Amino acid sequence: MDNKKHIQGEVEKTLNSLEGIQRATANPYLFTRIRARLEKGDKSFWSRALAFISRPSVAVPAIVLTIFINTAIFFESKSEKVQVPQDVEQSFASEYNLSDNTIYESTIEPE
Amino acid sequence: MVQNTALGILQNAEDAEDVTQEVFVQVFESIKAFKAESKLSTWLYRITVSKALDHLRRKKRKKRFAYIQSLFGAGGETLIEKPDFNHPGVALDNKERAAILFKAIDQLPENQKIAFTLHKVEGLSYQEISDVMKTSVSSVESLMHRAKNNLKKLLNDHYQNKE
Repeated sequence: MDNKKHIQGEVEKTLNSLEGIQRATANPYLFTRIRARLEKGDKSFWSRALAFISRPSVAVPAIVLTIFINTAIFFESKSEKVQVPQDVEQSFASEYNLSDNTIYESTIEPE
Repeated sequence: MVQNTALGILQNAEDAEDVTQEVFVQVFESIKAFKAESKLSTWLYRITVSKALDHLRRKKRKKRFAYIQSLFGAGGETLIEKPDFNHPGVALDNKERAAILFKAIDQLPENQKIAFTLHKVEGLSYQEISDVMKTSVSSVESLMHRAKNNLKKLLNDHYQNKE
């Protein structure tokens, strides 16, 4: 029982150990480092382009648009039937003697 | 303000400096986008918290990857146990307890960690914390309540194991 009370006391003291905490002071060279980084200059075109493309407001619509275009092309190609003109069909059939349907209808020339 | 917040969340002076730099670079680049809908300090806190959390997540991912690599026997750096964090602003007689508390804070879920750090380390009110976290005051109260309960459990376990 005493042990439990003791532990509870320790826990409370630890929880309150941040009372009166002061702000940490910055390293004197931190400002110099920040200034140097800001003065480093503009980023290259490619890094700016990459930063622009990787923004969620650009990347998500681009992906959605790509998926939409792919889906549209897929369904459009599926529904298209290859239409062969009638006269092309007939000339092809006559060239290869395909107009006769059965062997009994085909004429065999006598020797 | 920025560095102190980053230090409280990251519990590492070098990481806090890196994040502080990133925050000021971001502020410099996007100051034109600041619409003054909130206070400038609120905006700064939001960027700091966001950058600090990103840094923490990157570190955790690296740690996880290194652990998986070590399972497969792939070389690499040995994982070193994080040393106790001593906040420079803590009074000398509280340093040891504060180090134990920071270790426990590090194990809290992100939102509870942020709320607790902003309140205890930065001294922000619940209203100010709700502005920073873009949530309601009652949500902040709930986060603080859960954070304190979790910390009590963690500290209880710590002192029981010590005995």
